[in-house]
Amino acid sequence: MYTFSKNAKLVTYIMMAIGAIALVYGFATDGHRTWPSLLLNNFFWMAVSLGAIFFLAVQYAAEAGWATGLKRIMQAQGSHVLFGGIIMLIIFIAGAMHWNHIYHWMAEGVMDPESHHYDKIIAGKQAYLNVPFFLIRAIIYIAGWAWAGHMLRKLSLKEDMIGGTEPYFKSRKISAIFLVFFAVTSSMAAWDWIMSIDTHWFSTLFGWYVFISFFVSALSVLALLTVYLKKIGHLEIIRVDHLHDLGKFMFAFSIFWTYLWFSQFMLYWYSNIPEEVVYFQQRITDYKWPFFIMLGINFALPVFLMMTRDAKRAWNTVAIMAVIIVFGHWMDFFVMIMPATVGHHFHIGFVEIGGFIGFGGFFFFNVLRTLAKAPLIPKNHPMLKESEIHHI
Amino acid sequence: MANKVIHGIFDDDDVLLKGVKEIRERGISIDEVYTPFPVHGLDHALGLARTRISIAAFFYGIMGTMLASLMMYYMMIADWPQNIGGKPSFSFLQNMPSFVPIMFEVTVLCASHLMAITFLIRCGLFPGAKAQNPDPRTTDDKFLVEINSDGNDEAVRQALMDAGAVEVNEQELA
Amino acid sequence: MHYESPIREPLIVGDKSYGDISREIAAPIEGKANRSWWIVFSISLVAFLWGVGCILYTIGEGIGVWGLNKTVGWAWDITNFVWWVGIGHAGTLISAVLLLFRQKWRMSINRSSEAMTIFAVVQAALFPGIHMGRIWLAYFVFPIPNQFGSLWVNFNSPLLWDVFAISTYFSVSLVFWYIGLIPDFAMIRDRAIRPAAKRIYGILSFGWGGKAKHWQRFEEVSLVLAGLATPLVLSVHTIVSFDFATSVIPGWHTTIFPPYFVAGAIFSGFAMVQTLLIIMRKVLNYEHYITIKHIEYMNIIIMLTGSIVGIAYITELFIAWYSGVEYESYAFLNRATGPYWWAYWSMMTCNVISPQLMWSKKLRTNIVFTFFLSIVVNIGMWFERFVIIVTSLHRDYLPSSWTMFEPTFVDVGIFVGTIGFFFVLFLLYSRTFPVIAQAELKTILKSSGSEHKKLHHHGE
Repeated sequence: MYTFSKNAKLVTYIMMAIGAIALVYGFATDGHRTWPSLLLNNFFWMAVSLGAIFFLAVQYAAEAGWATGLKRIMQAQGSHVLFGGIIMLIIFIAGAMHWNHIYHWMAEGVMDPESHHYDKIIAGKQAYLNVPFFLIRAIIYIAGWAWAGHMLRKLSLKEDMIGGTEPYFKSRKISAIFLVFFAVTSSMAAWDWIMSIDTHWFSTLFGWYVFISFFVSALSVLALLTVYLKKIGHLEIIRVDHLHDLGKFMFAFSIFWTYLWFSQFMLYWYSNIPEEVVYFQQRITDYKWPFFIMLGINFALPVFLMMTRDAKRAWNTVAIMAVIIVFGHWMDFFVMIMPATVGHHFHIGFVEIGGFIGFGGFFFFNVLRTLAKAPLIPKNHPMLKESEIHHI
Repeated sequence: MANKVIHGIFDDDDVLLKGVKEIRERGISIDEVYTPFPVHGLDHALGLARTRISIAAFFYGIMGTMLASLMMYYMMIADWPQNIGGKPSFSFLQNMPSFVPIMFEVTVLCASHLMAITFLIRCGLFPGAKAQNPDPRTTDDKFLVEINSDGNDEAVRQALMDAGAVEVNEQELA
Repeated sequence: MHYESPIREPLIVGDKSYGDISREIAAPIEGKANRSWWIVFSISLVAFLWGVGCILYTIGEGIGVWGLNKTVGWAWDITNFVWWVGIGHAGTLISAVLLLFRQKWRMSINRSSEAMTIFAVVQAALFPGIHMGRIWLAYFVFPIPNQFGSLWVNFNSPLLWDVFAISTYFSVSLVFWYIGLIPDFAMIRDRAIRPAAKRIYGILSFGWGGKAKHWQRFEEVSLVLAGLATPLVLSVHTIVSFDFATSVIPGWHTTIFPPYFVAGAIFSGFAMVQTLLIIMRKVLNYEHYITIKHIEYMNIIIMLTGSIVGIAYITELFIAWYSGVEYESYAFLNRATGPYWWAYWSMMTCNVISPQLMWSKKLRTNIVFTFFLSIVVNIGMWFERFVIIVTSLHRDYLPSSWTMFEPTFVDVGIFVGTIGFFFVLFLLYSRTFPVIAQAELKTILKSSGSEHKKLHHHGE
């Protein structure tokens, strides 16, 4: 049984305090810069949580046995999605009240033919991009995700009590339903919350691209939590073989991320149609360094540093790579969100990094608090022994 | 000269695995084991070193990437640059998105073929090679442990029998 | 350690021994073909010969004998090409991706689906070849300078990427398949009684003896090949999708094409695997190795990939509207309601709606239904490519050039011919090759379903 120690609590409090100071400082000095940073950091950690629920559901749907000993960590990771989701809603409502200008289509007069702010292309999207529908959709996504995360955890705790295979097969059913729901909503949320910041721009791949970016981050955070818990003496049945598999996932999905990044980039680069390529044009000219650095971090580093078997079986290497990958994908989201909100006046300073740390603190606070509520290894899971003897 | 080998035949992979460990504990060195399928953990039990063929594959792959890059640089940028659909023909780096697919394909091509060839050469496999297994049953359902007796036949025989061999044979070496 | 969760059902049913596996896998090779084999083989051969005739006619007369016109310059040829390449994706997926994911159920089906892959890629490669018109100049697709000096092939062209992708895919799949076959050929060699068979399988088995070190290398090579083949299989259909997506044709230029083509390819590939294996397990009495559980798993993959394809269709449709680009919007409106509406709705029904039936456990464990659905999916995926290619081309930016496409008997003949050729190859294979990877299968004989069986016996 894991206990959320005083020291660990203190660390998360300090992280949250840094975030709070960054926010207050940001709003006091430059609100225009702080709102996108708030969106970025909250979205990122919420998505890390969502990615873990997805991975958990996949474990059930694919009848995977090896990761049974890690399911509690995935469940705990998933517990943050509701908190993150609620803050997302606050940001959207603030946008609708014109307190922030993240979403250009929410601006006054854009859809009004009489106004001199009228934009014909944006007005054409009104049936989809309007505040009430947008908020309703957001509530549906968040509620659905949080429900699935909650149900899978509840059934797993019930399994500890009653045993048998019934909770397992019920979890499997819920996972299948969630995966269908997730397949639709993860793409739609990406269009709504991120793609619509560049209101004119569109890409059919965008939803999958956002998904893979936060999924890699979620896997890395899962590996990080695993290493942490192992190092402080928990997770008896988790051995280097499990770490190896987590490392493989990080490695493989980093490559898959690169594949999707390349597919989207290359097709727009190749066709060179102005209304499409402007997206990358702006990123390569104004965001040159973040753009290329994040590409290096997210592709080259995992490929070369995690290719060997030995690297994936070293606890410290995997943990360090996890931190690097999380940071790389945070930068990826930075490059997605900032150009259309703050343009070429962007910063990676105290407001952005502080926010990242702050929301990270909030995320880890929720995760560790949830972890401390139940044993770290599920008790009566029908595949538990497979996880125990897992050997590669 | 004790120019003969002793063959112990096993009919179960778990018995074989246990038996191999026991025989080695007695200080008898096993020359070869023939199995009809890969027995998980047998390489450990025999104390075989890890294979380095994947490292070779990595370098073959790097070679492929370089080969493809050089080829495309020479043909498209250096030797005869053309303006094709406005793609930048003067700079390899700026034209690179077009080159990535072939760089990848040639990497995989070189890595897999050269690795496969290395595998065949290292194992002495080629069309028309003589069957390496001393007993045809080892591709079906029998597992064969081959020991060069070095004169103490009886000890080896006994070790094999104790380890659970269902049959022990001798074979003179030519 | 041999252990499996008791909720896992056995993948080999009946009490088999290692010897049984060898005997049963070798049986079709050692025995004689029955009448039904000869009947199917003859039909396939006739279809193949008809296809050869149509190909020769095309080469003799020129591409004009096809139904192509100035507006629709690509139609059945590319449709068939993409269809066959797509089918050729399941084999490598099963042997590579499922190996990486440690899916043991792949072991009974990987050999035949790899064979299917190779035969399908052969069919696919035919089409770009004959579409060149002057096929004897085909060597110009390779990176060699032209006859006037050093004008090279165009590396900016996705069609050239295709040349590299398809040839790499074909040769790597062949190597992967063959390396796996070596120990199985050795098993056939060691059982063979007739001297001719012993000699042939002796040559094919490269002298394999099953030494411990060799098995260690063998496993490592399989793993690395799987690691290489996994991105390769994705890249191949990605590059096929680039043929369309790099252009500026409405309905083709969309970024979701690469992963969506890959999902579609796996979808159609698994459907073809089902079609072939459901017959094969019956004819060769392999019901104990290719069980209902295998069929169910494949059906789940069909359902999954079908749903991914469905989401991609809807995404395309939505973004076409959302983008506000009129050409893009019209391309999709025209697909659904234009003169080719029947093709579009056949595609939607076959690919998106019908796989959803697999949510029912009853249906996905029903062999007759699975067989029927696999045919439906194959038809649907052919229509998908037809819809993408023809409906986007036949009404493009210039309304004065709008027209329709009508296939000639030559188009049909070549397509039917490739189906014949494919079955000829597969039928020959099924009588001369070990169609199940027996060495690999023996590794799971003890563990697979052992706890499940124990529980089951106690229950009785």
